Amino acid sequence: MKVGSIGSFLSLFLIVGFLFVGISRLHPVGEPLGNRDVFKDRNSLVTDTSNVDTMDDYFLRNGQRETGSNNIVASVVFDYRAFDTLGEATVLFLVVSSISMLLYTALKQKKMVLELKDPETGFPKNMTRIVSNGAYLMYPMILAFGVYLVAHGHISPGGGFQGGAVMASGTALLLVSSYITNHIKNTYKIFSFYESLGLTIFIGLGFAGIGVSFLFNFLADFSPLFLGRIINLGPNPGFLNSAGILPILSLAIGIEVFFGLSIILVSLFHLSRKEENTLQKY
Amino acid sequence: MITSAIFIILSVVVLVTALLSLYFRDLLAAVVSYSVMSLVLTVIFFQLDAPDVAIAEAAIGAALTICIFVIAIRLTRRREE
Repeated sequence: MKVGSIGSFLSLFLIVGFLFVGISRLHPVGEPLGNRDVFKDRNSLVTDTSNVDTMDDYFLRNGQRETGSNNIVASVVFDYRAFDTLGEATVLFLVVSSISMLLYTALKQKKMVLELKDPETGFPKNMTRIVSNGAYLMYPMILAFGVYLVAHGHISPGGGFQGGAVMASGTALLLVSSYITNHIKNTYKIFSFYESLGLTIFIGLGFAGIGVSFLFNFLADFSPLFLGRIINLGPNPGFLNSAGILPILSLAIGIEVFFGLSIILVSLFHLSRKEENTLQKY
Repeated sequence: MITSAIFIILSVVVLVTALLSLYFRDLLAAVVSYSVMSLVLTVIFFQLDAPDVAIAEAAIGAALTICIFVIAIRLTRRREE
């Protein structure tokens, strides 16, 4: 008991110490680069290592040239370490698959009692009109914000994972305001199809650039028609049709995250709905 | 000056709500306290020039996790013994 608490305190101090060492090596906020001359020459990569002491220096100087993406975070996530992102997406896929498998067997064993809509008004029964109308109005806006985040992932902050999570929170809003489905089987079919589609697009695009390497950004600087517009270096608003396969990968991840998280939410919520009669009310 | 004062206040709020979510025996109150912590943490992330992380925290920490926790509490018991 005592040894365990001492060990946990020691490991806590060790982790905090490592974090402080990491923080002390960060760039100052708002000062990404020492000089802006590195943006003048388009064709030469800055491989001069005299000023490049950390890895983020390299990304900040060469990210726009190499990937065509204005958002350096997106260029790191979907280009430099796209294979890691594939690993994350696979982990999410496996988690969603196992959770929905467990919940679906529990859902199938019980009879669906889902007569929650008021037949006269068409609104959910146990919610006030304000809540259901408000959710109904908010849902398209949340979806639009999520789609914006996914589509502009290579220009502005955001990206596939964040946009997909925002869209899934819209699903959560619909569920808690009792917009529920009577067709849980079809919902499962549609959602799992689109979730698999997202991951398949990701892996397929990875194999499309297999001539150089897996997940090679073969569309960058190719043609403006195929998302290959050449952007200006340095701070600039950017173009939607730049960055090669980055927007497509972001879209694939967005689809996968949205439908994956939605399927967890839908199955959990329907499980709680049906058990409501047997459990005591709190 | 004002920025750093706001930052310190927000950090204190994050610490207090995190400790409160450990302290509450009522699990629903603990979840709400956790949600407040996520929301304030979003503002802190945004102030630290990390809008990506702020969006992810707002969507997952303050919305999705809370929804799943509330459903789980509804399926089990509300009070911790």
